[in-house]
Amino acid sequence: LARSVQHTAVRQAHRKYEPDFHDKYGNLVLLGGAAVFSVVWGYALTQIGIEWGFSPVGRVTPKEWRE
Amino acid sequence: MLASRAFSLVGKRALSTSICLRAHGHAGVVKAEDFSLPAYVDRRDLPLPEVAFVKDLSAQQKALKEKEKASWTALSVDEKVELYRIKFNETYAEMNKGTNEWKTVLGGVLFFLGLTGLILIWQKRFMYGPVPHTFSDEWVAAQTKRMLDMRMNPVEGISSQWDYEKNEWKK
Repeated sequence: LARSVQHTAVRQAHRKYEPDFHDKYGNLVLLGGAAVFSVVWGYALTQIGIEWGFSPVGRVTPKEWRE
Repeated sequence: MLASRAFSLVGKRALSTSICLRAHGHAGVVKAEDFSLPAYVDRRDLPLPEVAFVKDLSAQQKALKEKEKASWTALSVDEKVELYRIKFNETYAEMNKGTNEWKTVLGGVLFFLGLTGLILIWQKRFMYGPVPHTFSDEWVAAQTKRMLDMRMNPVEGISSQWDYEKNEWKK
């Protein structure tokens, strides 16, 4: 019986909950983390000279090799 | 049970352990600690917990509990809610409510993966030697033509991707 009261009454008399850390900073942490990740790995993958060994197909123009 | 048998002189009433202690001073029975008594718990699969949520009622709440003994139609909506909150902590809706914890978790994971990337950058800069000369653009271009000239992997591999008539990569 007590629980069925919930359907009528609690909707009006809802207890206000204090926002927790995730409510306050969740979006900031998520976007901040994504930003750090993209910047660091964007730089690492493209700018520091890592040889990825991509396929020459469609990319490399063959050059004469015989001397 | 042992306690009530020992103090039968106090009467044949069933005695709780705490009353026994008060009645007899040192009892040989230890006062029941909170953790050993039935506890309240908010669980989706336990609709009626063993005890009410609020144990010690204020004077106002005690009065309300008296009013509850009469006809319930006399109770206002707010009083019914107050009675509910005495008996239960969270509603099912509150219990089931999701949180934003995933944002903190995912953001934290991405951040630390970013720090890992910094380690890789340091390694490339300070640890690894230069890339072998066979990876330079001219060498790769010459290497590629030599592979195509000797018809390397002609069935499904690299030579099958080259159009020998038009002298270009197949579209």
